[in-house]
Amino acid sequence: MKEFFSYKSVKILIATLSAVVVAAILGATGNPWISSGFNALTKGLSQVTAAASDAVGSKTYDELKAENEKLSKEAADLRAQLVDYYDLKDENARLWKYYKIKKEHSDYEIMPASVIRRDTGEEFHSFTIDAGTAMGVSEQDPVITSNGLIGFISSANAASAKVTTVLSPDLKAGALCKRTKDAGVISGNIVYTDKNMTTLTKIDANATLKKGDLIVTSGIGGVYPSDLIIGRVDTIKYDEYDATKYAVVESFENIKRVTDVVVLTDFKNKGEVGINKGNTRENR
Amino acid sequence: MNTRYTVFRYVAYGLELLLLFILQSTPRLIPEIFGGKPLLLLPAVLTIAYLEDSLPAMFFGLAGGVLLDLGYSDNIGYYSFLLTVICFALSLIFRDYMVVSFFNATAFTAVITTVLVCVYFLFFFIFAGRENSMFYFVQHYISRIIFTILCGMPLYLLNKFIYRNLRDA
Repeated sequence: MKEFFSYKSVKILIATLSAVVVAAILGATGNPWISSGFNALTKGLSQVTAAASDAVGSKTYDELKAENEKLSKEAADLRAQLVDYYDLKDENARLWKYYKIKKEHSDYEIMPASVIRRDTGEEFHSFTIDAGTAMGVSEQDPVITSNGLIGFISSANAASAKVTTVLSPDLKAGALCKRTKDAGVISGNIVYTDKNMTTLTKIDANATLKKGDLIVTSGIGGVYPSDLIIGRVDTIKYDEYDATKYAVVESFENIKRVTDVVVLTDFKNKGEVGINKGNTRENR
Repeated sequence: MNTRYTVFRYVAYGLELLLLFILQSTPRLIPEIFGGKPLLLLPAVLTIAYLEDSLPAMFFGLAGGVLLDLGYSDNIGYYSFLLTVICFALSLIFRDYMVVSFFNATAFTAVITTVLVCVYFLFFFIFAGRENSMFYFVQHYISRIIFTILCGMPLYLLNKFIYRNLRDA
């Protein structure tokens, strides 16, 4: 055994593993300098590949061929126009969406961002965006689109941030039914993740919400602003273990394919533990 | 000593890992088949380990592990640690006890991939207390394991090609 540890390569292995452990501990205690550095280095590359992927999408060969022929024809006509016409058009459409969000909620401080990377394992469709702490984004900030809540910033570094989606069981948000004010907690459920659905759990036994009802954030806890659309009730079910009720909620946004999002860096009552107006068990 | 080709080979491996990381993390580039996407970096570093000496194998294992971890969680840990050790050990095993062949490489890749992904699932789903974990395993992890093993085959051939053609006399 003593001889084994005297080998140079084994010593290097032990030193490397020690460095990995130190880096892992530093990362876990809020100093993710390796990931920060790496993300800063690869951000540009990821933006390019994500943009290229956006342009191609997931069409079939025939569809792409037909589209390519059509675009080639159009391209000849458009050469006379500005080179960045489409970029400006896309930018305009995107900014128009942000403008609408800002107009509806003047208290929102927003930071537009694009999806540059999908997680390696795509666990619950989490992704990485091209906005980080240098742009005012911080952990726990809500992430939305014009179609409603997408998730929250689960980790952030200077150049980018990771978003945990509303489809993940790691997300817990106070929510209520807009029509009946029945309150509960929104959290992803493994069974419904792939269907772009999440669940409203801990609903009162006397809750009267039904299929089609709109579910919004309650604002309780101060992490998410109130009245942020989450989705629409698809079905009401009973938990098979404790017989409590829960609602399956379908998001309005296709979270699996979302490409542009907005981070809410600040909003009215952020960080304040508000009083829920919904029908919780305590209120009854 | 002429080490020119060795340097080129290591650069080629490095570029391969970077390219696989980009392929793996670019949105909508690799389609999900039966709910799973392959972990391309995993078989890549394993196949490098079958061919290379222990130290380069270890460092490429570390590099692949770091990239896998960063793709998952922004923090290095699980894959970085385990792939560093596994690649080091694999290199020694293949140098002293095994013949580097397509069959052996595929068999080792299959076993190690299955164990690593299942242990990951055990830690981050079962021990984490997630509900309906087995549903997720059936929906995503089985196909992920199978596709990762299948991707190991061309990656073995690619790395063997690099190893054979960029080797000092």
